Amino acid sequence: MSRRQLIALVVGLALYAALAPFLKNYGVYLMTLVLVYLMSAMGLNLVVGYAGQMSIGQAAFFGIGAYHVAILMKLGLPFFAVLPLAAGSCFIIGLMLGFPALRVQHHYLAFATLGFNVLIYLILRNEQSWTGGTFGLSGIPRPSLFGYELNNNLAFFYFAFVSTILLALLLAWLLRSPWGRAFAALRDNPIRAESLGVNITAYTLLAFAIGAACAGVGGAYYAVLVQYIEPSTFNVPASLMMLLAVIVGGSGRFFGPLLGTVVVLLLPEWLRFAQNWYLMVFGFAVVALMIWLPGGMLSLPDRFRKVQR
Amino acid sequence: MSAFLEVKDVRKYYGAIRAVDGVSFKLGPGEIVGVIGPNGSGKTTLFNSILGQIRPTSGAVEFAGEEVTGMSPLELARRGIGRTFQTLQVFGKLSVRDNLIVAAQEFKGTMKGRLFAPPDAGLGEHADEMIELFRLQHVAKLPAGTLSYGQQKLIDIAMAFMPSPRLVLLDEPCAGVNPSLVDQLRELLVELNKTQGGSFVVIEHNMDFVMRLCPHVICMVEGKVLAEGPPAAVQSNRAVLEAYLGN
Repeated sequence: MSRRQLIALVVGLALYAALAPFLKNYGVYLMTLVLVYLMSAMGLNLVVGYAGQMSIGQAAFFGIGAYHVAILMKLGLPFFAVLPLAAGSCFIIGLMLGFPALRVQHHYLAFATLGFNVLIYLILRNEQSWTGGTFGLSGIPRPSLFGYELNNNLAFFYFAFVSTILLALLLAWLLRSPWGRAFAALRDNPIRAESLGVNITAYTLLAFAIGAACAGVGGAYYAVLVQYIEPSTFNVPASLMMLLAVIVGGSGRFFGPLLGTVVVLLLPEWLRFAQNWYLMVFGFAVVALMIWLPGGMLSLPDRFRKVQR
Repeated sequence: MSAFLEVKDVRKYYGAIRAVDGVSFKLGPGEIVGVIGPNGSGKTTLFNSILGQIRPTSGAVEFAGEEVTGMSPLELARRGIGRTFQTLQVFGKLSVRDNLIVAAQEFKGTMKGRLFAPPDAGLGEHADEMIELFRLQHVAKLPAGTLSYGQQKLIDIAMAFMPSPRLVLLDEPCAGVNPSLVDQLRELLVELNKTQGGSFVVIEHNMDFVMRLCPHVICMVEGKVLAEGPPAAVQSNRAVLEAYLGN
């Protein structure tokens, strides 16, 4: 990252943090929701953008994380004890979901992950005794940090803001390490990668597992943000929305999910002036973007450079 | 000669088609062997059978005294066997330098250790040396996929040599390469053979390249070894000439 890009990033983050106190409750909620979904989208970007695997099941892990927190916190466990459990469970289940990716690719893998998402949704809906079924789970408490309750929406926003930055730093470190290069090799050319000693089995499974753990963390934060969860939030449309965020921002670009999540979550809100037409306008905007910028919004500078040449 | 690589009666059949039909040869440490033959003679199938891309129908492959028949490309890579492919196989979105680093990083330490290793996995200097050797300094930071065919071919070959393998199988290294680059490529391979001491098996259609690089040549036709020996002898072999030029 160049010095100029770093300054732009710091200024952008500072503006995001500084804007929240000037917004009403719903505005703060939306900004926190962006952060929560961003955690999951960053994980999906690792799977799709860096490791080159296809997944339409990210929302399932988001749901698993959310239900972990909801059930265990209602039993009295503290958030910071449940969070690693949620991430760990998603890591293990993600690892298992990686196995189909060793045998199938592209749209076949997409359908395998989609099937997994539907399976998790059905479990959440039908296992009423511990998930609450379609009624969901309410009264999920907010966490406390060093004895300070995060019931205030603004306080929770800053908590989620710092947590998202920490998760992003962790992923940036991972992707800068030789692992990141191995993920890219797996994405670009798995046959060549294997002939160069890259253990494509291990890296495929790890990509799914780490991506799932990120979604689990996002889901955990989601549960304590909304304090009420029900299964339909974690069904296939949510997975598609996360995938859309990654692709719209720029798949395989570190800041792609950031831009994509902002656009995918906030653009429909900004378009509400169009009333009943807003989803149509949003849909058209996405189609136009995919046609003219298939590499996502962050590919715009590359596009300009190409035109200038 | 003491065999470093020994291919024993390897056969690969696809139904009635005998792609490789009982090929045997030996290669000593540090030796270079050329494999020639018309298109469809089974050269690449032989390579893929040796390198674990496909499992031979029968026969055996021994490397450094160990039977490696049917081992996966990963297991063979870990034993020090490198390869290049007939078609370009670089990591298009990675820079040239990263292509070279990733080609060797997995041979350093454990998987967990690599997570905590510096970003260049301690291979930056070695990658820079290879970049200099292959004269790719001016494109080192560019994504490999944006470069010319010839440059990508050089990267492809440099990657195979990056982990200092004990044996390298090169599949048509000159294919599609500018004639001015062919001599450079031959000099590079001679240099690498001298400095790294590895053994090479080279499939190539460019006869001048093979004759000048390889002291021992095998000619394959219809899956079988038609002739083998010093390049001049193979080149003047009547059966070889007929196979290439027809009756």
